[in-house]
Amino acid sequence: MEFLLIEEVPTILKQVIFNFFKLCDLTPREIRAGVWQVQINEELMKELDGWRAQARLLQFTFDQKLAESYGADLICIGSYRLNSILEVIQKQGIFTHLHISHNVFHEPNIRKKVLNELGSENRVYVVNESQMHGQYLQLKILARTISLEKKESIHTLNVNLSSGEVLKFAISPHLIEPGKGRVTDIRKRKCSFKKAFSNAVDYLIKTPQFADPGWTEKAWETFEQEKSKLRSFFNETDEDDIYSLKVKELKNKYAPKLQIDIMRSAVLFTPLFFYKLILIKPSGQEQSRNVLYDPISNAYELN
Amino acid sequence: MQQFFPLITNQINRRSQQEFFRKSTLPHCELEVLGKGFQRMIKEIRTKRIDIADWFILAQKADELQIKQHETKELISLQFLKERWQQAGVIPYPHQINSATRVIHKLQGQAILADEVGLGKTIEAGIILKEYILRGLVQKVLILTPASLLWQWYHELYEKFGIVAGIQRTKWDWESAQILIASLDTAKKEPHSSIIRKRNYDMLIIDEAHKLKNNNTLSFKFVNSLQKKYCLMLTATPIQNNLKELYNLIGLIKPGQLGGFSTFKSRFMKDKRTPKNPNELKELLSQVMIRNRREEGTVRFTKRIVHPVVVSLTPKEQDIYEQVTNFIKESSQRSGVTNILPLITLQREVCSSFLATALTLEKMMANMNEKDLSVAAKILQELAETKQNSKCDALEKLIKDLDDKVIIFTEYKASQKYIRYRLEKLGFSTLAFDGSLSRGKKNWIRCMFQKEGQILVSTESGGEGLNFQFCNQVINFDLPWNPMRLEQRIGRVHRLGQTRDVHIYNLVTKDTIEEHIMYLLHQKINMFESIIGELDTILLNLKLGKTFESEIMKIFLKHEQDVLREKLDQFGEEILEEQEKIKNANWNFF
Repeated sequence: MEFLLIEEVPTILKQVIFNFFKLCDLTPREIRAGVWQVQINEELMKELDGWRAQARLLQFTFDQKLAESYGADLICIGSYRLNSILEVIQKQGIFTHLHISHNVFHEPNIRKKVLNELGSENRVYVVNESQMHGQYLQLKILARTISLEKKESIHTLNVNLSSGEVLKFAISPHLIEPGKGRVTDIRKRKCSFKKAFSNAVDYLIKTPQFADPGWTEKAWETFEQEKSKLRSFFNETDEDDIYSLKVKELKNKYAPKLQIDIMRSAVLFTPLFFYKLILIKPSGQEQSRNVLYDPISNAYELN
Repeated sequence: MQQFFPLITNQINRRSQQEFFRKSTLPHCELEVLGKGFQRMIKEIRTKRIDIADWFILAQKADELQIKQHETKELISLQFLKERWQQAGVIPYPHQINSATRVIHKLQGQAILADEVGLGKTIEAGIILKEYILRGLVQKVLILTPASLLWQWYHELYEKFGIVAGIQRTKWDWESAQILIASLDTAKKEPHSSIIRKRNYDMLIIDEAHKLKNNNTLSFKFVNSLQKKYCLMLTATPIQNNLKELYNLIGLIKPGQLGGFSTFKSRFMKDKRTPKNPNELKELLSQVMIRNRREEGTVRFTKRIVHPVVVSLTPKEQDIYEQVTNFIKESSQRSGVTNILPLITLQREVCSSFLATALTLEKMMANMNEKDLSVAAKILQELAETKQNSKCDALEKLIKDLDDKVIIFTEYKASQKYIRYRLEKLGFSTLAFDGSLSRGKKNWIRCMFQKEGQILVSTESGGEGLNFQFCNQVINFDLPWNPMRLEQRIGRVHRLGQTRDVHIYNLVTKDTIEEHIMYLLHQKINMFESIIGELDTILLNLKLGKTFESEIMKIFLKHEQDVLREKLDQFGEEILEEQEKIKNANWNFF
């Protein structure tokens, strides 16, 4: 699970705000220490503040005291201005393309690894080699545990669209580049998006965070307690329909629930290394082999 | 600027809003996999709406920040609303913040907000609602109020919380609006009630919830059958006469909290007004009810200072007053007291302005017999000839001495016009408020008055639902006979947020019925200086809600001047006795 530490919040918050203005082609000017000013056009202002908003010179700060002294909009956790900006950002599309370049891997090393894999007793010659791209579905999944309290967390899972397997470790973000880049020769998907999502969900619910039954048992206990109170109340009445309605209401409120939804997703094009090989066994028998190596999941496909 | 992608969420079909698939994994735990995000992803892939990666990366950070916000234990709505509240002049009080925090973190969003009158229950409900909306826990909201408070709720939610709610007008509104304000009386009737019962609300708010105290009423049964996740019930009087009323209200919020009724009766009721085991009951109630009291000192109200301004009528005016009064008495004797309303109006108008009296009399003449007609015509003639108005003279004198903002209240539009005419003739600029103005115009006038105006002449209905804490002087040009209406007038300025003492100037014409009314309201029941919190309950118990004016008129018509004061004394005593009864009831356990 990736989650911000409390001390990281101000840094991330500033990054988000300045990146937002940068992507809108706006450059905030620091007019006093800690107070920024930016001219916002009508179109963006309407996105931020609703249809009645006009173009304006927006002053903002991250400091409560400065906000009070200069009348600047305060940007902090919970503030109106932060929420209006977050809302505009979150309105954007939820799907994108990402890629990992072949250059991040050292090809001779990979070749060596592939050849070693075919057994030291065999002699192997590389007849041909090429570079291809595989596809992963990167899912940012929002998981909510709902019982007496609601807890939310975001999980990034990568599902191999050829095998349908979920990658057991995270891909380091610095390897990932935006867009499709110069991706050519893409290997066809064998796994549907729906299947990939389903596999990701199966994987997620087996992680220790969700597999521990402690929280569900506690919540269920509360639900049972409330239900018995309810029963005592309705014992004296003959309103069975209202009773079942109230039980349903109680269940919605107290019974433990895990809610999962996709927040964002991307098709991640990853490098694949293809080798056409001649394998000579100790007996002298020659075989032609094709090997496709996926360095992301460290998987070979041999035929 | 780079092109924004259109908001796609709205285009997703209804099916995708529902759950995608459901499995059971852990014991007792339901897994709900929602299809909303998946469907949106597929739609974007199909339509080749590939987001720009920089926006995508930024959005991921935004998602994380959003979740961080949801995680905080502090009320994020307070920070969110800070600037709005500064503009709107709203100051949240510690007891309001504490109540909202308790409802959210301890009471799981189900509570009776039972603060005493004037402590800001609506603000508490607004904070709770906003908090849940910001945390993404509430989307579908139904607010049920008396019909007269629909616009007030709309206005409060929009102005103070930035929540745009709809007001229910047709049966289609139930399904189209996410946040809807509706009248309880409309909602409980068909075809509306069936539609509402089918809906599952995230939050239900019920104002004036004491109307649900009786579990045999249609209102109670209707509210009890609604499906909701969170529920707030607002009332200043959770018990009026009987402990069962409280039991019923709690049963709506959290059935079983006090056990079955027989258990409740044996454990907590000595008799219908006296509780048993008050401490235990208090403990159980604190899990579903919050009650803040004025005497706890959470809020300091400024003083109300009353200045009676006694106006002596000229002999000519006094003569006309007598003629009108005699005419009313004779008419009532002939027609009986069945059609007393026009006579009450006339009697009150004659103490306000002759212009208002003349207009009413003229209308009444259309249905008069010949004898009355000739008397009325003579009075009308005299009213037209009278150029002097001693009350207005006194008002002019008073206004000259007041250099701050002032609101003049009158009951009648004709008097309002006359007052404005007289004051503008003297060079004062005035603003007018009446019930016919649209909400937008009222707001605009309120703003004008706050920024530039000095005098606002308002009818009672004009001022309803609007607050003028920036002004601390009120002139009652004429007195409403009903104390509830008087309280509403004063309540426009004397409320939370008023920082100065409030001066109330009452113009009272000597030797008229107004003098007696003033005696009853001011000297007898001390209406002006103290806020009678239980006033609505008192009037309800005495069955005087709508007939207060008629009762006074009956006393006035039946008795001569010499015994009139004595009879009004008795009437006042009844009110005070009822007030005492309510005060002494052992309701202090909550």
